[in-house]
Amino acid sequence: MSRMVEVKDVSKSFDGTLAVNAVNLVLNRGEFLTIVGPSGCGKTTLLRMIAGFEVPSAGEIRINNERVENIPPYRRSIGMVFQKLALFPHMTAAQNVAYPLKMRRFEPAQIPSLVDKYLQLVQLGDYAGRYPHELSGGQQQRVAIARALSFSPDLLLLDEPLSALDKKLREEMQLEFRRIQQELGVTTINVTHDQREALVMSDRIAVMNEGVVQQDGTPVDMYRNPENRFVANFIGMTSLFEGTVCATGDGVVSVKSGNVLLQARSNDKVLPVNTKVDCAIRAEQIRIVEDASVYDNSVFGTIEHRIFEGDRIVYTVHVEDLGGARLHLFDHDPVSHKEYPANERVRLGWNARDLFAFQAPQSN
Amino acid sequence: MQRNQIIRTRLGWKLLDGIERLVSALWPARFKGSVGRVLLLPAVLLIGILVIGLGYMIEYSFHELDLSTYRLKDEYSLVNYAVIADRPVYMRVLNRTLLAALIVSVTTVFLAFPYAYMLVRTRSALTRKFLLIALFLPFFIGQVVRAYGWLIILGKQGLINSLLEGLGLPALNLIYNYPSVIFGLIQYMLPFAILLIVPAVAAISEDVELASEGLGANWISTFRHIVLPLARPGLIGAFVVVFTLTLTDFAMPEILGGGTTDFIASAIYDSFFQLSNAGLGAALSMILVMIGSVIVAAIFYLAGTGTLGVREQSR
Repeated sequence: MSRMVEVKDVSKSFDGTLAVNAVNLVLNRGEFLTIVGPSGCGKTTLLRMIAGFEVPSAGEIRINNERVENIPPYRRSIGMVFQKLALFPHMTAAQNVAYPLKMRRFEPAQIPSLVDKYLQLVQLGDYAGRYPHELSGGQQQRVAIARALSFSPDLLLLDEPLSALDKKLREEMQLEFRRIQQELGVTTINVTHDQREALVMSDRIAVMNEGVVQQDGTPVDMYRNPENRFVANFIGMTSLFEGTVCATGDGVVSVKSGNVLLQARSNDKVLPVNTKVDCAIRAEQIRIVEDASVYDNSVFGTIEHRIFEGDRIVYTVHVEDLGGARLHLFDHDPVSHKEYPANERVRLGWNARDLFAFQAPQSN
Repeated sequence: MQRNQIIRTRLGWKLLDGIERLVSALWPARFKGSVGRVLLLPAVLLIGILVIGLGYMIEYSFHELDLSTYRLKDEYSLVNYAVIADRPVYMRVLNRTLLAALIVSVTTVFLAFPYAYMLVRTRSALTRKFLLIALFLPFFIGQVVRAYGWLIILGKQGLINSLLEGLGLPALNLIYNYPSVIFGLIQYMLPFAILLIVPAVAAISEDVELASEGLGANWISTFRHIVLPLARPGLIGAFVVVFTLTLTDFAMPEILGGGTTDFIASAIYDSFFQLSNAGLGAALSMILVMIGSVIVAAIFYLAGTGTLGVREQSR
């Protein structure tokens, strides 16, 4: 596979603050990468540097094997969909889609058929003559993506374009974007703070925090094998508590937390005895059990509160034995209709392979 | 501690409830819909009075001055309009005023746009503050004071001529001519134009400009195809305001023109107060109002009402 984008040791500082800190990313032709992270993590700055709206303070960016740091945006072959779409309000949908073709001096005779092709692609063939304010939110989205793709750019950048939509429409558009991306095979970088969107749309995910890429991998990998506490906590609904390693085995460690001994997974990292660790467990991996023998780990706790979400119930359980940790868990037993009231004492169980142990950051 | 807080919040709510009750007693809810209309009243009254004045002027313009009594004759006639059409000096003044209005408004809008754009787009708070102060300072200094300021700088013994004299160069005639009036007017109108263009530029999202750049347009193309069309309402609004203000200006031609380059307003003033001919003055005023209205109406007709910032409701 050939490389389309290569970001090498790229940093960007604003007034002495590092927004992006020595980031490395490689993107192959046709791949869909989502950069996900909380607001202010540097993901948008990174995207704007790739687009050419910001110049890196240090490092190299290559697109299609060409250094681009000092090439202005209008000379790069990049289509970008902005968070607020930035459609041209004085132009019709067709004129919006034709704009990059005109600016990039496409053969004038070719333009109408290309405009038509891309409006068809986003299923807006009948709306060519409408102005942006005459279109619905979802339709505007689709004009924006047609406009970003009509000139066949090397790279498509999406700067949280779906964040303003309501949930249902957003989920529809996620699938729509993915369909178009796969149909055209265009290399795409998507930026979002929505971890669900990252999991649903991408071939690969890069999780960013505080200007640093924390982990880079496939959605499944990112979910099943988080490399650190931040990634484990950011993706999925995760409970965290602290502990100390007291025995170490093959991929499995014994962790003492509060006054219980737990079996946890060390994720191929060497964690010597007495290492301080952060333990992380996903809400769907914990069960309320009668019989603990099925599970590697088991604790008693008191239900603190209960949120009914229709398809599932979210319990927060206070576990005195784990140093007073609060564990969140999902109960989706649709058959028994069983609900535990608040203050009920319950037994929780989970398996060693679902409890992650990460070396705690050194406190100084 | 916590108890105190609860009591305090409760007191707060009670206080707010009390205020609300007081307000609703003084101003019952059923009046609420009419608040807007009531607030409109002063403006409507002011314009109404203006219309009455205009009515009187129309009436005056159709009466000839009786030179034996220096009062307007009772019978209606078109004598005043005939006099204006007859004397070339009025045509000259009219042409001079219209040409000045055109030159001043085009130049001012041209100069105001970059200033407004910079004011909106600059990232530096310091630059923005400087531009804002420089924009509002002239408003605190009246037109007459500013015109005299130019006399001090451009006059026979003014700053520039003393400088030229010091260099052994001949003195220049920098005032009491048409260009100096135009110059003074442009300087006077610039802040008005900027103020009218700023909101139009501010309404253009910066993302739209970035999008254009990302789609392959350099800044010249972006300016031509995106910024200019989107800022058009502001530019036309500024043009119209500067045009009408120049058309009716009195102080600049009077002071910087020194009687050599009278505008219509000066001719009207002279008719009323030098010749004591209210009929002639009223007729000149009518012509000015007509010309101004026709031109403004034509611009709005061609450019659409969006120009006024009053957009038709979008669906």
